[in-house]
Amino acid sequence: MTPSRAPTLSVRIGSLTLRNPVLVASGIIGYGTEYEGLVDLKAIGGIVTKTVTRRARGGNPPPRVVEVPAGMLNSIGIENPGLEGFLETKVQILRKLPCAVIVSVEGEDTREFCELVDGVSRSGAAHAIEVNISCPNVGPHGLKYSTDAGLAREVMTAIRPLTKLPLIAKLTPNVTRIGEIAQACEACGADAVSLVNTFVGMAVDSRTHRPILGTVLGGLSGPAIKPLALAKTWETAQAVDIPVIGMGGIAKPADAVEFLLTGATAVQVGTALFADPSLAEECVRGIEEHLRQMGASAVDELIGALVVPEGRGMIRAGRQARPAESRGGA
Amino acid sequence: MKLVPCEVFENRELSQGNYLLTLTVPRSFATPQPGQFVHLRISEEGDPLLRRPYSLEGFVSRGRLRAVRIYYSVVGRGSRILSCQPKGTSLDLIGPLGIGFKPRPRRLPILVAGGRGVAPLLFLSRKLREAKRPYVFLFGARSRKELYGVREVRGGRLHVATDDGSVGYPGNALDLLRREWEGGGHTPLHAEIFTCGPHGLLHEVAEFARAEGIRCEASLEGPMACAVGACRGCPVPLGGNGGGNGRYPAMCVEGPVMDATIVDWRRLP
Repeated sequence: MTPSRAPTLSVRIGSLTLRNPVLVASGIIGYGTEYEGLVDLKAIGGIVTKTVTRRARGGNPPPRVVEVPAGMLNSIGIENPGLEGFLETKVQILRKLPCAVIVSVEGEDTREFCELVDGVSRSGAAHAIEVNISCPNVGPHGLKYSTDAGLAREVMTAIRPLTKLPLIAKLTPNVTRIGEIAQACEACGADAVSLVNTFVGMAVDSRTHRPILGTVLGGLSGPAIKPLALAKTWETAQAVDIPVIGMGGIAKPADAVEFLLTGATAVQVGTALFADPSLAEECVRGIEEHLRQMGASAVDELIGALVVPEGRGMIRAGRQARPAESRGGA
Repeated sequence: MKLVPCEVFENRELSQGNYLLTLTVPRSFATPQPGQFVHLRISEEGDPLLRRPYSLEGFVSRGRLRAVRIYYSVVGRGSRILSCQPKGTSLDLIGPLGIGFKPRPRRLPILVAGGRGVAPLLFLSRKLREAKRPYVFLFGARSRKELYGVREVRGGRLHVATDDGSVGYPGNALDLLRREWEGGGHTPLHAEIFTCGPHGLLHEVAEFARAEGIRCEASLEGPMACAVGACRGCPVPLGGNGGGNGRYPAMCVEGPVMDATIVDWRRLP
């Protein structure tokens, strides 16, 4: 075998070029400095910030986290300083980070989403915006916009004209047909979709007859959800032409490769990073090593390269069956 | 902050279900303060998934040896797996983390320990002894067997209580505190309380301190995911005026040692 050049790892999300396809997911690494010295930001593609809401949020009552087999349930409730607090205290920090910064935003209604996208876009802190329409822990509005294609369309249509930054719609897996929600976002100007947010779950204490989380319900993440997340990524990647950013249970480099194979253009590392802060860097190295072994010159050769017997693995009838209404835009 | 490789030097069961773990750490490990903790990965196999926060019982720096000590009880799956890690096992930790105890100059520290909550207070008592400061150590445990570390309490005045009356005063650490306060001639200007143990006990100690106007620091315990202030998974509910205005300090970075009199113990699991 001839010695090959290092494979190209960079990928594009709309107008944003990531130096490699590994990001740290929202809610894991705060605003980039909390893990200083533990996560090497120069080695990874970028980070997604803790979600910013219009007004400051104190978050949910404790307990907010509980470990379950191969996973974690959380009900943090987007504790954050709000848009004004973000602009005052986080923007300067984010501007100095040596990686792509994707700022996550969540609004209670379309107007709030607009104010957030506008504010974050003007701040200069973001290379892209992740539109969190899929938080299960903030009350009924949290999941509203990603469980109804019409509402997803409404919010994406409203925010699209407000920024030139790539818009990434973060989707919930708590739907029957995630591809339709993704198509709605694509049709209304999303540059990418990211998935999956957490699965709604709960933990019960059989001794006390009480729920363990302070909010009763929470979101499940961690290795337990990886097979579910892969299936959603696979389904979504077949439904849309825009990049899919896959996540859910990545705990080792091979997991990241699996998401790329199922059609993800980039991946986000989440819960498992709490245990292994170097996981995101390890995933970058693991993907590079995998590409070398397959003799590939670029990560594009891995994206969607899953070998599937013809006609198999279709959750629905693939691209041909896309509903005509979602094609032509809003 | 760096990831710190460590190795099990000793992992010994001292009484039923209670272990003393000694982990060697590199020379670069920052000297921890009493009340601080480490976020320990207790298995390299990815199970359990999350690290576990453990308050330090002590720090050893002798010759070339540098080690942290953890006194823990087997209470669940994670601690059971930890209890099976033999000498020589390689693990890693993040730390030292959090805010420790802050004794003020010229005040008499009264240490109030319940059960395995004795761990960080033993660490504190050694520091006080090194500084040649007098202190009072009040320790309540279930039985004689769980009175870990009492022989080590030197340079201070020790009183013990057991639930079963097998040794010392029959009662708990709060009973000891009441007796000490009433009989010791202490005043809030000259004494302060440092406490660790089950949250029920800490709640009672905090109520006592509030009623008497005594400064009181408590070391809290709870599940943590990141332990560096990023995930906001370990909120401490505050009481008093406005209930903390809806703000929850993170136990990991604004604790685990906090002013016991401002914590809303009823809302803290």
